[in-house]
Amino acid sequence: MVLCRSCDLAIRKRALPSNVRAICPRCHSVLYDSPYCSINGMLALCVTALMFYLPANLFPVLEIHFFGSIRTTTVFQGALAVMDQGYWIVGIAVLVAAVLAPGVLILSIFTQILIVKFGLKTHPGRALLKHLLRHQGLLSELTMLEIYVISFLVSAFQLSDFSDIFFGIGTFCFVMLFVTTLFLQREYNLDHMWSFLDENH
Amino acid sequence: MKTTESLQGQALGLVLCHVCQQLNQSKVGHCRRCGQALRQRDHGSIQKSWALLITAAILLVPANIYPITTIVKQGKIIQDTILSGILHLVQSDMLPIAIIVFVASILVPWLKIIGLVIYLSAISFNIPVSKRKLMVGFHIIEWIGRWSMLDLFVISLTVALVNMGQLLDAKPAPAATAFALVVLLTQLAAKVLDTRLLWDRLEKQDDAN
Repeated sequence: MVLCRSCDLAIRKRALPSNVRAICPRCHSVLYDSPYCSINGMLALCVTALMFYLPANLFPVLEIHFFGSIRTTTVFQGALAVMDQGYWIVGIAVLVAAVLAPGVLILSIFTQILIVKFGLKTHPGRALLKHLLRHQGLLSELTMLEIYVISFLVSAFQLSDFSDIFFGIGTFCFVMLFVTTLFLQREYNLDHMWSFLDENH
Repeated sequence: MKTTESLQGQALGLVLCHVCQQLNQSKVGHCRRCGQALRQRDHGSIQKSWALLITAAILLVPANIYPITTIVKQGKIIQDTILSGILHLVQSDMLPIAIIVFVASILVPWLKIIGLVIYLSAISFNIPVSKRKLMVGFHIIEWIGRWSMLDLFVISLTVALVNMGQLLDAKPAPAATAFALVVLLTQLAAKVLDTRLLWDRLEKQDDAN
């Protein structure tokens, strides 16, 4: 038995083939999909994402040449630039959505994987896993790498009107960070992660 | 698969944990898996959602009439609102970019606020609208709302890059903060709302989906 989280309809749960989602017959919200995620696959994606995370944030994502003067910016400097002008709400939004939330998200999933692999029998491990899973939804919503990637493409087009645009190693790393995080979030299944806490008490 | 009788969890004495989706008995106070406090329905969520939505709707006015960027070009100050920025993009032959910015900064916030007003009105005033369509619309709003952040990201990149003093200098302007708050508040308004309330209220009168 499951309940639809959007309309509270009671539905008998059935096994699903892979890549199929169950939809609520009354309100058409997604009910559940096959609760599976490859722990080792996620570990690989996590390590890859972590490797790209630092260069993506340390190297400039965009560089412009304008009458001989060169300006570069990282994601972090972009956030600081608007904060310097007194627009700290905008700056914090950029910082959280494009720098902090993705980093914490990847670290959180990495820790969850390590606990599932090695620490599921220990009490602190289980407590930490529960804590991380409770905040997973929020972190996932705050992560806006896909929007950021589109926005630096938009900026590049706009700026190319009067200056020369260059992409650097930082751009490449940021796009790779976005791609690996996208696959990681696709592979990740919150129901499955919670079910690790049900088993082996 | 169409269920013959639509039984709700409420009638069965069951409640879903909204954090971990664990099914619990209604009589227990906290989820047996994650410890979250359980509630059959969150009736106060309509008021919270209305409050956030009305605030967002008010902020949408300054977000649209005040300039969102200030550009100093060879000593001349040019201020752009969201709309005039888009018009400039159209004039400088960047139609695809103009469409992206238009969708993210104008279409999505307006649709989101209008959509949420319709949704909340349907709950608060028992307006007979197709519940299924409302729910589909609600999920679209939930998903697409975050894309409004695009313009703010573009502004932060532009401000960081374009700072050549009197020659050319870009700065954010007051509408940026208002717009950021509109995005935040509308996302929260959708998030706090207990959508199950829609299906309870109208259930009593007619079951026309």
